[in-house]
Amino acid sequence: MTSTQFKSRLLCDKTPLEKETESIDSIKRALKNPLSQYIIFGIILIALQALSSLGDELRITIIKVSFMSALGSTLIYSMVSIGFCLLLGYSGLASLGTAGFIGIGAYCAFFCLQEWNVPYIVAILFALAVSIVIGVLVGFISLRIEGIYLAIITLGLAEILRYALQAIRATININLKNIVLFGTKIDKTTVYYLIVIVLLILMWITSNMINSPTGRAMLAMKNSTSAAQAYGISLMKYRLLAFVLSTCYAALAGVMYMMYLRSVSTSMSTLFKLATSLNILGAVIIGGAKSIWGVLAGTFIMYGLSPMFLSDVKFLTENPTFITLFTGFLIILVVMFYPGGLAQLVQLGKIKISAFIKKAKEKKYGKSI
Amino acid sequence: MTVFDNLASTLLGSLPSISVLVLATLAVTLIFKTSYTTNFAQGVISAVGSYLVMELMLFYRVPMYIGILAGITAGILIGLFIDIVIFRNGRYVNAIGKQIITMGMVSLLVGVIPFVFKTAGLEAVYLMPMVALNKYVVLSKNIAIQINSLVYFGISAVIVTVVFLLLNLSKWGLGVRSTASNEQVAGMLGINTYVITAASWAIAGALGAVSATMYAGFNMMSNSLFMTTIQVNAFLACILGGFATFYGPVLGAVIIPLISALIGFTAIYIPTLSTWREVLVYVVLLLLILWKPQGLFGPRAVRKV
Repeated sequence: MTSTQFKSRLLCDKTPLEKETESIDSIKRALKNPLSQYIIFGIILIALQALSSLGDELRITIIKVSFMSALGSTLIYSMVSIGFCLLLGYSGLASLGTAGFIGIGAYCAFFCLQEWNVPYIVAILFALAVSIVIGVLVGFISLRIEGIYLAIITLGLAEILRYALQAIRATININLKNIVLFGTKIDKTTVYYLIVIVLLILMWITSNMINSPTGRAMLAMKNSTSAAQAYGISLMKYRLLAFVLSTCYAALAGVMYMMYLRSVSTSMSTLFKLATSLNILGAVIIGGAKSIWGVLAGTFIMYGLSPMFLSDVKFLTENPTFITLFTGFLIILVVMFYPGGLAQLVQLGKIKISAFIKKAKEKKYGKSI
Repeated sequence: MTVFDNLASTLLGSLPSISVLVLATLAVTLIFKTSYTTNFAQGVISAVGSYLVMELMLFYRVPMYIGILAGITAGILIGLFIDIVIFRNGRYVNAIGKQIITMGMVSLLVGVIPFVFKTAGLEAVYLMPMVALNKYVVLSKNIAIQINSLVYFGISAVIVTVVFLLLNLSKWGLGVRSTASNEQVAGMLGINTYVITAASWAIAGALGAVSATMYAGFNMMSNSLFMTTIQVNAFLACILGGFATFYGPVLGAVIIPLISALIGFTAIYIPTLSTWREVLVYVVLLLLILWKPQGLFGPRAVRKV
């Protein structure tokens, strides 16, 4: 060994190979941090829209407008699903009032933006305020009625909301002209960016909540209310919190829905009906009720898969109900055999792959002692 | 028209809804008692039955009673399929899992109906009512009642009576009652709970098919989910009456249309109420349920740790 080589070995006492593995490790560690995962996810989502807009300007189709539109609505439904995952997966409260809560958001947006002409941020705050009131109300109901009964009561509540909204105004349309968003006049692209940002914020809040004392208290409450109470967890506090949060998420999604799609015919559309609540529940179940990425995947299967990727398949355009049939089949299969949903499947896959790799290595190099 | 005439005709007008709702509620209760789950697919299973009746009558010119028999058979088969093929083969199926499976069944059947039935593509079809809707029995100068709704009420009263007699007197009924109070112990005492549960699903399917066929006689079959309102009301009726007994939910199913009719009656004098009718009905129900969470006819629950 020459003296210079010796010096360098002394100074940083790591070979270039070690350095490389260390930097890979640090990248891996950073990728495991949820926040950076969400930011990467957001960048991808925004890049897709930017590509699509670029294509529009150059008059070529890089990404179809219908694809982006379907992606936007899938992201809106994802907000609802994440809120519902907090309710079902963590607090163990089965609610079927989701559709009504989305309706509240949509109508708040309609009245604020169209009738009263206030800025969109006021619309969001107003929707949040209304949904906090409703969430507290449902939370109190959930203290008195539990389990399957609660699902039916919230279903009744959703019917009340739907009929009430319908009695207030049968069809709502928003004509976004005077609203300024991100310094430019509002259009579908800017609303899409807003949706991505709101979704990321919600994901971040949720993942922090899950890993905090609040999330653990909710899990304890799910597993046994009596045991949780014995450990000093206030049922009232956490049930109210769970309902308020999930109602807020759904109402935010309703506001975004109105800003993005701009028109709902309340009596005709299925948006505020039982079907939506069931679909959201299905999405959460298929994805795995305890994992945010799983829930996103489930929502994608329920809402995004067919309009985004299968819109050109002739068989499916001729038989639009086939995808409903398929999702129903999938829900039944998942509940029968994989109660943890897609998230559990991925986990199982990971374990199997790592076992396979280990076996292959053992075959090649012999067993390590 | 006097106040009494108005009241009498609105109350009589709710007879068809009562007849349909009672059958649907009985079906939901039977399944809840034996399988410990709420069957969200009840509405769609019933819809399959009524679509089959419609299909046979429209395209194959089959007389109505044979059509209804076929519809009932379809309901029974689907009920048996859910219980025997799905519930028993699931590896991790618990109460909530069963509930979610029935929700999956809703999607599955909603997807299947347009493939199988040509009539599902037609928009807004009425199934022929059993007796023409314009035939009336005149009770007094201002009150008349459709013969059709009397027929419905008669059918539903007969069916409910038969089911209750079966529940109270037959061996199956004894089995259902013991399975309802404790499935494991019933099994240990030599009751074949599998057969009991499967029979309950079959009867629930049949009840559903009859109720949907009746409902389609005075309401549009606009799409495969046309029974959803009835189903939601049936659930609420069950909770209103209390799942603890069999007669409670049935009485609940009579009360809900009556509340609706009473609000409709008040709306004759206060016209603004008519837009808010459904809202008021559900608010009243919700308040009643919050007042008595165990149901109007249920016992007080004792919570054990």
